Amino acid sequence: MSVFNRRQALGLMGGAAALATLPMPAIAQNRKVVLGALRFTSHAGSFVAYERGYFAEAGLDVELKFFQAAQPMAVAIASGDVDFGVTAISGGLISLAQKGAVKVIGGGLSEEAGIDGQKILVSDAAFQAGVTSPAALNGKTFGMTTAGSSFHYMGSKIAAKEGIELKFKPLQKVGAVIGALKSGQIDAWSIVPHIAKPLAGSGAVHIIGNVADYVPDYQVTTLFTSEKNAGNERDLTKSFLSAYSKGAADYNAAMIAQTGGDEALNAMVDLLHKHVYNDQPREKAAPSIVNGTMRLNEGAALNLASVKDQLEWFQAEDLVSKDITLETLVDGSYVETRG
Amino acid sequence: MEIRLDAVGHRYDAVEVLRDISLTIPAGKITCIIGPSGCGKSTLLRFIGGLEQPTLGNVFQVGEQPDGCLNALTYIFQDFALLPWRTVAGNISLVLEDHGLPKDRIDSVITDVLARTNLSDFANALPKQLSGGMKQRVAIARALAVNPAVLLMDEPLSALDSQTRDLLMEDLVSLWSRTPFTAVYVTHNLQEAVRLGHQIVVLSRRPGRIHEVVTIDAPLDQRRTADPDLQQKHDHLWHLMRDEARAADAELVHGA
Amino acid sequence: MALETSAHDNDTPARPVPYRGGGFRPRHKRGVGLIVFAILIAIAELGTRQGWISALTLPKPSDVFWTLVEFWQSGRLTQNLFPSLTRLVVGAFLGTLAGIGTGLMIGLFSAARAGFVPLVAAIFPIPKIALLPLFVIWFGIDEGSKYALIAFGTFTPTVVATYGAVDNVDRTLIRMGQSFGLSWMSIVRKIVLPGAMPGILSGLRISLAIAIILLVAAEMLGAEYGIGAYILQAGSLYDLDRLFAGVVILSLLGVVVSFGVGKLETRLLRWRV
Repeated sequence: MSVFNRRQALGLMGGAAALATLPMPAIAQNRKVVLGALRFTSHAGSFVAYERGYFAEAGLDVELKFFQAAQPMAVAIASGDVDFGVTAISGGLISLAQKGAVKVIGGGLSEEAGIDGQKILVSDAAFQAGVTSPAALNGKTFGMTTAGSSFHYMGSKIAAKEGIELKFKPLQKVGAVIGALKSGQIDAWSIVPHIAKPLAGSGAVHIIGNVADYVPDYQVTTLFTSEKNAGNERDLTKSFLSAYSKGAADYNAAMIAQTGGDEALNAMVDLLHKHVYNDQPREKAAPSIVNGTMRLNEGAALNLASVKDQLEWFQAEDLVSKDITLETLVDGSYVETRG
Repeated sequence: MEIRLDAVGHRYDAVEVLRDISLTIPAGKITCIIGPSGCGKSTLLRFIGGLEQPTLGNVFQVGEQPDGCLNALTYIFQDFALLPWRTVAGNISLVLEDHGLPKDRIDSVITDVLARTNLSDFANALPKQLSGGMKQRVAIARALAVNPAVLLMDEPLSALDSQTRDLLMEDLVSLWSRTPFTAVYVTHNLQEAVRLGHQIVVLSRRPGRIHEVVTIDAPLDQRRTADPDLQQKHDHLWHLMRDEARAADAELVHGA
Repeated sequence: MALETSAHDNDTPARPVPYRGGGFRPRHKRGVGLIVFAILIAIAELGTRQGWISALTLPKPSDVFWTLVEFWQSGRLTQNLFPSLTRLVVGAFLGTLAGIGTGLMIGLFSAARAGFVPLVAAIFPIPKIALLPLFVIWFGIDEGSKYALIAFGTFTPTVVATYGAVDNVDRTLIRMGQSFGLSWMSIVRKIVLPGAMPGILSGLRISLAIAIILLVAAEMLGAEYGIGAYILQAGSLYDLDRLFAGVVILSLLGVVVSFGVGKLETRLLRWRV
């Protein structure tokens, strides 16, 4: 079975809008840039900008480098093998930022009202035993990939708000968490809707709540680059962000606003199918691509309040050093920030 | 107790090893079996002790076991076969433990056999601390501990240097002289056979048959190397064996 | 000819016979290992302090040290070490016990040999980590699957070492036991088992090292506490200080286990030449 990384899974919730706030920078001089990507729709901004030549217009000779998981992508940025990437904020990303290796420069995807967000799931056994709302999760086990992953963060936020205790079970991979949940080895988990819904449909698990009720305006994924690019290559970084934002805007327009109708939607699915679910025939891949639709952050806007909350949680859990400031993690000078 | 072999023959697959061996091992005497390499003398000894079964013929024990005998047919091996993880006393204790004897009985037997083999000072030594001759003495003590009806000795002195061999032969002679025991002694060494044997069975080369049985009447404790009678027996035996040994040797060279 | 030269030994030049022996004999050099360690750590410390080794490449050894100190003082060392040691002891105990049992069976009974040897050969190369999800289903996500993984990992090398050791027990000793009329049980208990002990113990050395390796794998699934879980967490947090602190603890555990087996060997194999 193909095992999803959770950030890859989150990536399936893509969607973005035009980057009005970003001034088009001076054309860079055909710079060679490596862009880390996962084969998921949350990376649609990258794929569209690449396929439609927005990167080339901005003077960037982009090479896509595909990863199986987001964690190695963050490490590859730190090692200088990759210039830009998209992933969730994890303890690993923060630690790499602390070591002066990476910097968050923009938003990829956040939970927002009106768009289906991440779901809280419980196993059938737990559901039958009466766990029908998050408040009943006291003392139950909650699945996560690793300590300091966003699952850990979400679970903690749920527990804190309900005033309950959760036992976290690290299982390394999303596939392992799904297996453990289905077989009742763990009681609860949270995951993006297009994974949550089919699971719940099978009857093996049940949806008992929305993460958005516990983590409002959750900034799920961010754009990040090496500190060197963020600090010393401002033109390059600006060129990248504007080209990426154009791609994200195209995606949001075609898939969410559907301004171009079915024709534009199909064209977008064709484009994405080159990179996403490309091991499946178009007719099988298309529903998955469409179901994975999420709005990407317009203009790569970043919810600083959510990032700050996440950073503080990591510090409170003693997962990362207390010395790290928001400025160490984020360079907010590139995109519109909130909070 | 005596042992009688009745028309014993044996083959390993296509190779005939022994043919038509009929022999009586008299009680209270030492019977030496000599013969060239590969004549089946060690195999014959394994038949006598019941460690292997002949394809033809039978081996009988005749008469009653002596009182207090724990293991009627008891071997002494060429390579001593001592457990290296047990002390001298422990190695002897090994063969007594399975008989349900009381602890003090076992201890007294050990003390007794160690005294008889002059090993009392080495009761707590490990085999690795002992010379080859000492190890074989321990093996002899172990064999004596079970008060055997027949001692089966398979080239017991072959692994030792010649001085040690002489010393141990003297030990065996004095042991036998104090308490005569029945023994089958397999060797390829004529001196040993002449020194220890009351009856010497000469086997032919493969397939081993009885070539001749020579008896020596001189009492064991009076045999001297310079004795002309013994020298004559020795020469006679050598004469019997020489051609067989040479032929056997040639067979091996030709890979037969 | 030899006589001729000796007759002329005043005229012919005499040279000392050149020495060609020596070497190829490992000698015990005290402290050299420690010096190598100290030099490597000093280089790492200097490099990370002066910046020619970046903080991404290696943590400062002194930081690792203080992380260990803090780990111990905060009580989290015992919190993580205790579950790991329990898993190690229970898993390795079950695995080696079953391994020695099966190895003895293979060594003693032809039917067991015919039946089990191909099975063990088939099981041996399986990366036990690959079976972890299956173990979670079979033995539960809690301690059961962790014990099972470590037990399974130590089982096969112990089986192979044990039946190899039984095969190597001096047959004349067994023949001797039979010739003295020892019971089958006595022969196994007093001859085969002690005779196989050197091989079993060197197998134990390997299987316990494997147990430590598998500890990290076992704690991948559903372990809140444990040295392996701590290392995995540090890895996913890219926290090099804690990562190295955890690795140091595993190394020390390996040294302690190896030392323990060494002590056991000198105790049980005193008789060896």
